[in-house]
Formats: sequence, structure tokens, C-alpha cells
Amino acid sequence: MGSVLRRLLFFFRQSQFDRDMEDELRFHEEMKAQALADADDMSGDEARAAARRRIGNALRLREQAREPWTFAPVETFAADARHALRLMRRDPAFTFTALATLALGIGLNTAIFSVAYGVLWRPLPYPNPDRLIIVSSAQQTETGPRTFSTWAPMSYDALHPRVTTLDRLAAYNSIDVPLSGRGEPLQLHGLEVSPNFFETLGVPPARGRAFLTGAAAPDDDRSAMVSDRLWRTSLKADPAIVGQSITIDGLARTVIGVLPPEFSFRPVIPGLGALAETDIFLPNRWPGDTGRNAFLFLLGRMKPGVTQERAEAELTALANDSSVVSAGALGAEGALAQNVHTLARVAGLQQYGTESVRTLLLILLGAVSFVLLIACVNVANLQMARLSARRAELSVRMALGAGRRRIMHQLLTEAAVLSLLGGSLGVVLAEIAIHVTLPLVPQFALPRLGGIVIDARVMAFCLGLSLVSTLLIGLLPALRVSGAAFGEDLALHAGEARTTGDRQGERLRTLLVAAQIAMTLVLLIGAGLLIHSFARLTSVSPGFESSGRDGVVQAVRVTLPERLYDTPERIHAFARGVLDRIQYLPGVKSASLINSAPFGMMFIRGDFDIEGQPKPEIDAGKPKIEAGYFKTMGIPLLAGREFTAQDTAKAPKVAIISERIARQYFPGGPGAALGRRVRLRDRGQWLTVVGVVADIRQMGLDQEVQPMIYVPFQQERESFVLCFVSFVARTATPASVVEGMSAEIRRAASDLPIESAVTMDEAVAASVAPPRFRTLLLALFAMTATLIATCGIYGLMAYAVTQRRREIGVRMALGAERRDVLRLVLRRALGIVAAGLIAGLAGAAGVTRVLQTFLFGVTPTDPITFAIVTLLLTAVGLIAAWLPARRATRIDPSAALRAE
Amino acid sequence: MQRSSKEAKTKSKNELLPGTLEMLILKTLSIEPMHGYGIAQHIQMISADVLTVEEGSLYPALQRMLVKGWVSAEWRISANNRRARFYTLTTAGKKQLGVEEARFSQMFGAMMRVMKTT
Repeated sequence: MGSVLRRLLFFFRQSQFDRDMEDELRFHEEMKAQALADADDMSGDEARAAARRRIGNALRLREQAREPWTFAPVETFAADARHALRLMRRDPAFTFTALATLALGIGLNTAIFSVAYGVLWRPLPYPNPDRLIIVSSAQQTETGPRTFSTWAPMSYDALHPRVTTLDRLAAYNSIDVPLSGRGEPLQLHGLEVSPNFFETLGVPPARGRAFLTGAAAPDDDRSAMVSDRLWRTSLKADPAIVGQSITIDGLARTVIGVLPPEFSFRPVIPGLGALAETDIFLPNRWPGDTGRNAFLFLLGRMKPGVTQERAEAELTALANDSSVVSAGALGAEGALAQNVHTLARVAGLQQYGTESVRTLLLILLGAVSFVLLIACVNVANLQMARLSARRAELSVRMALGAGRRRIMHQLLTEAAVLSLLGGSLGVVLAEIAIHVTLPLVPQFALPRLGGIVIDARVMAFCLGLSLVSTLLIGLLPALRVSGAAFGEDLALHAGEARTTGDRQGERLRTLLVAAQIAMTLVLLIGAGLLIHSFARLTSVSPGFESSGRDGVVQAVRVTLPERLYDTPERIHAFARGVLDRIQYLPGVKSASLINSAPFGMMFIRGDFDIEGQPKPEIDAGKPKIEAGYFKTMGIPLLAGREFTAQDTAKAPKVAIISERIARQYFPGGPGAALGRRVRLRDRGQWLTVVGVVADIRQMGLDQEVQPMIYVPFQQERESFVLCFVSFVARTATPASVVEGMSAEIRRAASDLPIESAVTMDEAVAASVAPPRFRTLLLALFAMTATLIATCGIYGLMAYAVTQRRREIGVRMALGAERRDVLRLVLRRALGIVAAGLIAGLAGAAGVTRVLQTFLFGVTPTDPITFAIVTLLLTAVGLIAAWLPARRATRIDPSAALRAE
Repeated sequence: MQRSSKEAKTKSKNELLPGTLEMLILKTLSIEPMHGYGIAQHIQMISADVLTVEEGSLYPALQRMLVKGWVSAEWRISANNRRARFYTLTTAGKKQLGVEEARFSQMFGAMMRVMKTT
């Protein structure tokens, strides 16, 4: 509209406008003076004076002339905002406290929101990402549906040409392969992918080309595509990289493409988490693989208009159609069941595998919004206290004609200014918090870490929070002003006003502080439960002695590439050779090796047989170890003996079982199992049990102990389980020993990258990193809330003491001792705290059940935690009230009585 | 209205109905572009001193009309060689004048009918 534009222009021309107006009025004045002079025959000066009088108040005229040009609400807001800033400047203590509190509250919320948004809701960096799905399978068993994440390549081959609801169906398999020949050998996180993988995602490479697809396309199988990151680091950002050869897993491959810098693909393994960022992609068609060697994840793109249900239905039908998929080939981890109905399960790519993270993030969002509420209540209380102090002034203003509404607007504007300033500080705080905390997040916990950034959407959220805070902070004081009682008692009892105090206001503030305490208690109990749970968790013994008198256990893991180590003899020779040398390294008390170290990445488990008994129902782990393993790891031997150098490939086949199996299947003491026989696969060789060892936990402290059947490394013939080797050594000097171990490995196999080198302590600690992180976060929020609530209690009691100076003075004059006064104040504080605690306990009892999945050994209504936290918060409340209480005892009765 | 030059009090004048001032200004400017003083003089003269436009009403009204785009303003040299701000009617203003005139006649006619009844 024209008038709006003109008004906007006016904004820039104000001084010119004033000048014009002045000139115009002067002209008018002169003309009028002239007319008067002519008509009434006055002198020039008289005429001018008369003219000026006639025109009247020039200033007022100018103001009125300005009025049509201004946007009234904007002008009012600007004026109010300036006034608010002035008031804030005059009261630095209040301003600092309020801004700090708001910045904390809004900042924490913004930080958590940006994490949640980045992980859960930010659209993935592919075109039409909501069309992308992961297809997993499930089978009905007697005990209910069992979900598998992966499929056999033969099933993929059968499904992908026939599915009609999907535009494309691709497959991928996570691999870790060594890169050599470009500086230090590096273990890469990679994916084997079907050639149509990038077409399915819809991401073209930044350089070069993608894999060739189509039935008639020649196989690209000696090619590779690399990530931008790998290109920049190991490949030195060579602009001519396309067409060059790199050595992956001992094989020469041609780099045919480099992916764009913003491309990211972190495969999510359900139960494990999100793997690291993928650096290399190798094409594969897995010819003839029925599911023994490759386990494929299926990634599909739904056609427009297709729902997940439809795709699921079609894939289920295809999977069960025996003309399509040959029975028995529907691969998954573990044994395959024939003639069992298979269900396809479809999940959006973004949601896949994020269920537990989602729960956690939502809990954190809830917790942190409590903190914001508590913070806003504090600031609202502070505002109301100030309002009470200004009651006299405001009542006078209202009596003089300032509308109630105007004052309410003013109060809301003050709240808005505070909130917006606090919000801006909060954004800065959030940015810092994210920068500092993200590197500390445990490895697999959060997928899409790169998407966590404070951008426009997050800022909009922050702004929204500021506005909500404005309402929370400003509404209460504004409502108080609009209430009929405000100010009227002043008019009637002018003298008494300051002594009786603002009763209604104080009641309201007391209620708010009690609410703060309730919310703080809920947060503290939540944190307390997590802490208690974490303590229980870390007190669980893993079963081996990760650190003791003789030092710690240092583990170094390598994966032997299939090409160079294709026979079990080669692997045995390598292992034996390196181990023999490691045992003589200075500082090594004992050394051994195993193919699947506890708290590591890999573990093979399956069924087994016992001679002369029906097939056991439990699964057993089947680790392959060298002699001296249990001694090195500190696992107690309960009966029989350890493996020795004599248990070679040609010697009789032996095994050592763990306590759990011994107790359940060989009753009569640990020695009862010795001499009996077991076997690890159907129609395999029978192994004689020569020892029984204590149980250990393999995957996590919160898991059950894992029944094990150990077999000598040298007696195992299946290369593909032998190629994972973890050397373990007990030493008091792990730093130097790990150097020595790596050197020996390099000596035996120069191109072999060290996959990991950690002590068992570190491995166990890493396994509890997610619960530790959660606990720390929630504890941080709870402490912030406590801090803010403490300030709230302090503020309230301080104000109450000031208001009651006269009353306290009277009491002291009448004989009350300082002790009595102290008790008086503290009792009052205790009352408020108690009220809050009761409400908080009730709330906590209902709310804490959301933490169920994160608790270990502790119920959501654990009485010990509830009790301790409640006592703690009571103590904190009393301490907060201590200072004002002491000040109360220092009141000079005569001064208090004299003053008003 | 003639007033003694000694009187400086606020005036007892015939108060204009709100909105009619703008109509009068528009009509005045439809004759020719004028400055503020000229507009006031014109109205006073033509109405034989019945209607007086106070500066306190005139200039705010002129500014309102500028905002609404009914008039435009520019600085020119006046008849007696002084720099003055002249207001000109715009096309929108002309249209508005027609609207206001029609409305006023309608209201006036209605009032007359009421007053004419015996």
C-alpha cells in the first residue's frame, strides 16, 4: 500500500520533515503577522507576537503533524523498549542475574534442540530423502518374530529386478579395508555397494563418474569411489586422481570418482549404532553368494505416491514366493529356517536405527525445557519484586491518566527486551556448548553428527523460545497490574503501604518458587537415578582382570587380508611368529591372542553339541585363543588346564568351556566336565574338554555372562574366523609395550594397518561411554536447575526479610533472641521448600518411568535415590535461606521501628 | 470570525465535523495548488468568516492527506517572493473529493428532510 511505503520513507527523512515543518509554520506566521499588521494597524513586532499566539503551541502542532506518519504501535514499542533499557541499566544486579538466567535456559534448550533436529529431523542430504527406505527382514519363530537386518546376495539379486513399488533397490555391506601405498597404512571404513547405489541415493560424484549400472554394463570390479575427506587427506587432493590406482586390501583399484564434500553416509547397525563416516565405496555383485560371506543391507527408493506399507507388502510377497527367492537363501545372521514365512520390514532411512537415540533426545529436550521454565520463573519473580517496589510510582502514574493497558504493554515490552537479549546471549552460549561437547560424544551414539549446526531453523526455534519466555515472564506482572487490588490499597493506606508489603504479590512469588523447587527435584531425581544406575553398572565385574598388581592388559587388533592369508597355516604361522616375539618384549609379563576380544567389535556365537546329551538350547561363543590367554587376561581357571604350546594342529582336539556351561550341563563340581566331549558344528570333530574357566561378559557390563567354548587357535581351520587377531599382553608399561607390539606386527606384515590399540580398561570404559555421557548431561541440567532455583529461594527470602523488617524489629524489641529470628526465617523457608518437594516427589514418581530403558539395576522409583536427592535439595534450600536469615538477626530493632 | 487582537484565549468557533475539513481542503485545492496559509484564508473568505481553520487542525490534516496520497507537496516561491510549501491535488485526491462530496450531500439531504418535517 502506498501509505505504508510513504510512512516507511518518512522514517529516513525525519530531520528533513522537522525542518520543513518549521519553515512552513514560519511562513504561515509571517503571512498572518502581515495580515494582522495590515488589518489592525499594528507594528511589525506586535503583529508577529500576535500571530504566534494565534497559532498556538508550535511544538504540539509539530507533534500532531508528525502523527499520521508514524506507525503507532511501533513507536510505542520503541519508546517502551528504550525505557526498559534505561531501567535495566539503572539496576545492574537485576539485569545481570536476569540475563544470565535467561541465557542459560534458552541457550541449553537451543543446544539440545539443534542436536535433536540435526540427528532426527533435518532432511538427509539426498534428493527427496523421505522416499529412501531400508528393507530388513523378520521371521516368525516360536518365540515371536525375530528381526534380521540383512539379506543374502542371492535374495537381493532375485528381488531387485522384480520389485515394482520401488524405483531402485540397492544393497550395501560394511567393510573395513586397509589402504596401503599412500603413506601410513590406514584402515578405511568402507562399503561394498551394488552398482546402482549412488543412483538410488541420487547423488552424482563431484569428480569422475559413478559405477556402471544396467544389465549389460561391464563389471567395474577393480574400481573404487572415494569420499571427499579421503581424497583431501590420504590422496592429497590430487586433481588428477580420477584414473589413478590405489591399493585397497592388497589389490590395485582405479579411482573412478570422488564424492562431493557435503556427501555423507554413515550406515546404522541396529543395536550397535551409527558406524563411522564411509570413506571408500567398492562395487560388488556378489555372484552366487547364498549368504555365507556377505550380509547385505537393502536401500531402496520408493516411487512417488507409494507408501511404506505398500512397499512392505510387495516385498513380503516376493520374499515368500519360492519361484522368486530360492528357499534357504534368504540369508540373515545365523541359521536359516526353511519354509518359514518371512516378513519384509520397511523403515525410512532417516528413522532407521534411531529409536533409542530418539527416546534419549526427547527426554533431554523435556529435561531442558524444565530448566527453561525454572529460569523464566526466576526472572518473573525478580520482575514482580521490582514491580512491588515500583507500586507507588505506578499507582501515581495511573492516577494521572496512564491507562492500565499502557502500563501492561510497558511491562510486556520490558519482558520482551529481557527475553530477546537473553535469547541472543543464549545462542552464543549454545554455539560454544556444542563446539565443546560434540567431540566428547561417544563414538556410535549419534548418527549424522555433521548435521548438528545452528542455522536458520534453530535460530527460529530460539526466537520462539524467547517469545515464550516473554509471555511467561511478562504476563504475571502485567496481570498483577491489571488486577483490581493493585495500587488501590496504596491510595487508601498511603503510610502503611510500605510496611505491610505487597501480600498478594508475595504469595504469588512464593507459589512460583515452590513450583521451581518441584521441577528442580524432578530433574535431580532423574539425574540421581542415572548416577545410581551408572554406579551399579561400573561395579559389575567383566570377568577378567583388566588392571591389577601386574599391570594392565594391552590389546592390539589387526585384520589379516584374505588375499595374503588364505590358508589357516599362513595365519597360524603369522600369529605364532608375532606372539613369540611379543612375549619377550621388555615389560610384558605374559602375552597371548584371541580372535574376538571382549568389548571388541566382533564376536561369533552359535549352537553346539555335547556328547551323550540332547542339544543344548543356549548359544555359546566360540573364541579361538593361544596358550596363556587366561593367565594374561586374569580369568580364573576353575578346573583342568590352560592350552599350551603342545595343543598344535596335529595334537588331539581340545576345548575349554566356561563355568556357565559346566554348571548347567555337567553337574557335580567344576571338574565334572573334564574329559567329556563337545563339538562346535554339526558333523564336526568332537573336542575333549581339558579345562573350565570362569565366565566373562563379552559385549557389555549390562549383559549377561556369555557361555564360551574356547578352542586353540592352532587347531582352528576356518580362515575366515582366524583372520581377526587381537594380541593381548599384560604389562605395567602399556605405552612402550604397544609400540613394541606394533613394531613386531609391522615386521611380520609390513602393510598391515593396526585397527585398534587400547587397553582392556579403555575398552570397558568405552563400552560405558554412552551411559556416562547421558548421565553427565542430565546431571548438568539438574545442577543448572538447582543453581537457578537456589537463587530463586534466596531472592524470595531476602525480599521477605526486607519487607518484614518492622515486624522482626518488633519481635526483637519484645524479647525475641537472634536464635528465634533465625529459626523463624528458616522455618518459613523450610515450609516453602517442603511444599515444593511434595509436589516434586509426586511428579517424579510419575515421570521417571521414561528413563526405564536407560537404568541398570535401579527401578524408576528407587527409594534410595529419591530419599538422598530430597534431603540434598532440602539442605540446599536451607543454605539458600541462610544468608537472609542471618541478615534478619542483624536487624536493629530500634532502627526498624523508627523507619517506615 | 473577527477577534480582538488582545484576546489570546482559545477560540469559540464553529467546530467542523470531523472529516469535513479534509473535504474542504480538497475542494480548495481543486481550484488551484495553494500553500497552507492560502488554504485557510480561502476557506475563511469564501465562507464569510463562518468557518475558521485553526493551524492546529490544518497542518495535521494536510499531513494526513499527504500520507494517504490525496495531495502532493512541493516548495515554490509564493506571490510575495517567499519560499512556501504548495499542495497539489492528486488523481487519487480528486477521486476522494468526489466521494466525500457525494457522502456529504447525502447526509445533508437526509438532515434537511428531517428538519423540514413539521
